[in-house]
Amino acid sequence: MTTVIDTSALVGVWVNSNSASNGIARMVMSESGGSLTLQVCAIGPDSLIDWGREDVSVFTSAPSSRVGAGFTCRYDFGFVETRLLGMILKGLLVLAELHSFKDDSERADYFVREYFALDHATYQVGVLQACEL
Amino acid sequence: MTRSFEFKQSGHLNPALFDPATRSLHSDKLAGRWVNANRETQGIAELVIERDGGQFNVSVVVVGADGPISWPTCKARALANLEEEAGQRTMALAAVFDYRFMRAEAYLRVNKGVLVTVLFTTFQDNSGRANYVNREFFYREDRK
Repeated sequence: MTTVIDTSALVGVWVNSNSASNGIARMVMSESGGSLTLQVCAIGPDSLIDWGREDVSVFTSAPSSRVGAGFTCRYDFGFVETRLLGMILKGLLVLAELHSFKDDSERADYFVREYFALDHATYQVGVLQACEL
Repeated sequence: MTRSFEFKQSGHLNPALFDPATRSLHSDKLAGRWVNANRETQGIAELVIERDGGQFNVSVVVVGADGPISWPTCKARALANLEEEAGQRTMALAAVFDYRFMRAEAYLRVNKGVLVTVLFTTFQDNSGRANYVNREFFYREDRK
């Protein structure tokens, strides 16, 4: 049985509220054919890093709800696997990032929680590409 | 799709990740019996986090229609949580409760003495229920 979910609250460009973050700068959630994909731009020492686009799983706020309120997504970069778990709270996207290293660097797996606001473009002149500064 | 390239994301370069002490940061703050602050919850009533050496185990009691239901104990993965509010450095746990009719992916962390759980539940029983996310808050009940 397929459950149709309203994902409109998740779609858009999400910008990190913390300008000093060393994690994710912004994310673009796109909808196509009823499915969502996410493109992530992370912060590198010299420039933004495009993680590329991955499929997401959508979650509502209750079993009886049909409105999207959260998502999960997985990126596997070979040397590290990152799990993203996001939920919308009072209009903010609260994102948990779970990083698990698979290389021999002996770095500890780590957890980060960041907050993102939807770039509603009300005050912008043009459309910004995801990774352009 | 798996990509094998490497990149120097700033967060991955935190020197604290290379410190062995990071793997046990204030992990004692997680262990204990935690009770839901919301007495009217329809989700998790209480949970117990136990540490066995380097391993964490999570036991959950949820609210059922006919009374409390104990889920089988689940092994949890510890992750360093280096950027909590007010400069707290602690641990977070990631757990997956995988049962025949549902799968719940969760992360748990302590912030200023409050255990926060966020559970992403996926139904696998064709019941028509929507997959959902739920965040709850717990206080530690001191052991007697």
